Amino acid sequence: MIAALRWAVFAIAALALNFPILVTLSTSFKSARELSANPGLWVWSPTLENYLAVFQVSERLNIFLYLFNSLAVSLIGTGLAVALALPAAYAIARGRLGERTLLPLIVNLRAVPLIIFAIPLYMMFQWLSLLDTRIGLGLILAIVNLPLALVILVNAVNDVPPELDEAALMDGASRTQILVRVLAPVCRPAIVTSLIFGFITAWNEFLFGLMLTTSKAVPITVGASFFFAASGGGVQWGVASAVMIVGALPPVLLGLVMYRQISGSMTAGAIKG
Amino acid sequence: MTTRRKIEISEFRILAAPLVAFLVLFLGFPAVVNLVYSVSEVSFETLRRPALSGFGNFAAVLGDAAFWRASWFSFRFGLLTAVIECGLGLFLAIFLSPLIEKRSWLLAILMMPLMVAPALVGLMYRLVLHEFVGPVPYYLWAYLGASISFLGAGSAFWTLVAIETLQWTPFALLLFYMAYQAIPAEVNEAATLDGAGGLQRLRHIELPLMRPTIVVALLIRFIDGFRVFDNVYVLTGSGPGGSTASLSIYIYEAFFKQGAIGKAVAASVILFAVSFAVLYGLNAIAARRKGKGR
Repeated sequence: MIAALRWAVFAIAALALNFPILVTLSTSFKSARELSANPGLWVWSPTLENYLAVFQVSERLNIFLYLFNSLAVSLIGTGLAVALALPAAYAIARGRLGERTLLPLIVNLRAVPLIIFAIPLYMMFQWLSLLDTRIGLGLILAIVNLPLALVILVNAVNDVPPELDEAALMDGASRTQILVRVLAPVCRPAIVTSLIFGFITAWNEFLFGLMLTTSKAVPITVGASFFFAASGGGVQWGVASAVMIVGALPPVLLGLVMYRQISGSMTAGAIKG
Repeated sequence: MTTRRKIEISEFRILAAPLVAFLVLFLGFPAVVNLVYSVSEVSFETLRRPALSGFGNFAAVLGDAAFWRASWFSFRFGLLTAVIECGLGLFLAIFLSPLIEKRSWLLAILMMPLMVAPALVGLMYRLVLHEFVGPVPYYLWAYLGASISFLGAGSAFWTLVAIETLQWTPFALLLFYMAYQAIPAEVNEAATLDGAGGLQRLRHIELPLMRPTIVVALLIRFIDGFRVFDNVYVLTGSGPGGSTASLSIYIYEAFFKQGAIGKAVAASVILFAVSFAVLYGLNAIAARRKGKGR
């Protein structure tokens, strides 16, 4: 009896929480004619025409470019964040360096509204000609990813028994060598977790994409809204839905495959943050 | 200090240096620009030659009714969404845990909204709530014979609260589920032997043990609600009539739509100062608590 009630609550929660995704998925398979007649969840005659339309490159719209931009800036933003955070995590965890200054500062960064840095960064990018470039947006996404990556990696290094790197130190290895040859392999699960988490965060970022790009480096979160005004007149809801599904798919798939790692890192980030 | 130890410290400094340099360049420099420009007379034409002008920009922001309205929106939005998300998340985490313990993939289904960009979720709700093609008004008409204008003046705030809540309740659920699972089985067994029922265990043992997690979750969700931008921006912009402008949107619009650089930067500095003061205050309280606990 109580088990049935639990299942009922689960079903309602799953439906309510995922409702916009389900509606968008269903709409993306409706033909233009069906759309005007059937706003319900069920699709009468599924069609792929919206997806074909989305992947048509036109002068104004190029979904391949937006997806490639998202992929590129997410990889830059994630890779750079982890590359900067790992050596720093080692210095913080083992050298007790910046434990009281650097670490809290960066962790607090996760809680600061990033809009406060947005305007000077916009002006700075204008001077450096980094506006509307993938590398520019990637750099900013690295800042967004840094706090959580650092927390995850500091925890990971703290969990490694100190005897391990002391043994290597006795053998005459330098700290840098220990980091590359001993710690990085041992901390691989944490590194993978921060890469996955960073990638999803970067792919889903919107504010800086909106401010810092205009055409060449537009990511999919911003590019998706271009499709809403595509035909000049009313919104083509079928096409717009297909764009949203395509844009949401990479992080969702990654998240579904890796949900164990992600739930672990979210908790770690939350407790320390 | 031995030479060996000195060498080690300098080696660690080198390892941390790239991160520090990166932060100085991309956060330190912007922070300085913020401070300088907030006390300057500046426009897009004189961007590189700001003329110092005192605290006029701050006075303009603090005298701007829209700034206070946005602050109130952000505060109310952050508080409401945090409380509702944590309440729902706590209930779901505890009530559904017998199901999830046996089948962890159920968690993946509930976590799915967390993987979708808030901006896309906002756009999705434009479809969901659309008066002609959206299923919510459609089903409301079909079953209740009436619907409301979800993004109209009276209801836009509550619609946004609901949307934010539905996307981020899984975050609270996840945190609480992990904390709930971390409660040692022996504690509950002992209480059961002493004759405590399920509800008594919940109230006197489980909830107190989960309290630190609940506080952290409330704080994180408040902060994220307070600085909300993406979903609100794509759904209502700041309308109707500026009623749904969060502080993030206020600053964005002051800069990009009105070209009021000084005002936007001054508002950023105020937000910056308040955020850091609050955060360091909380850190200090947490550190003192920890110290007492030992």
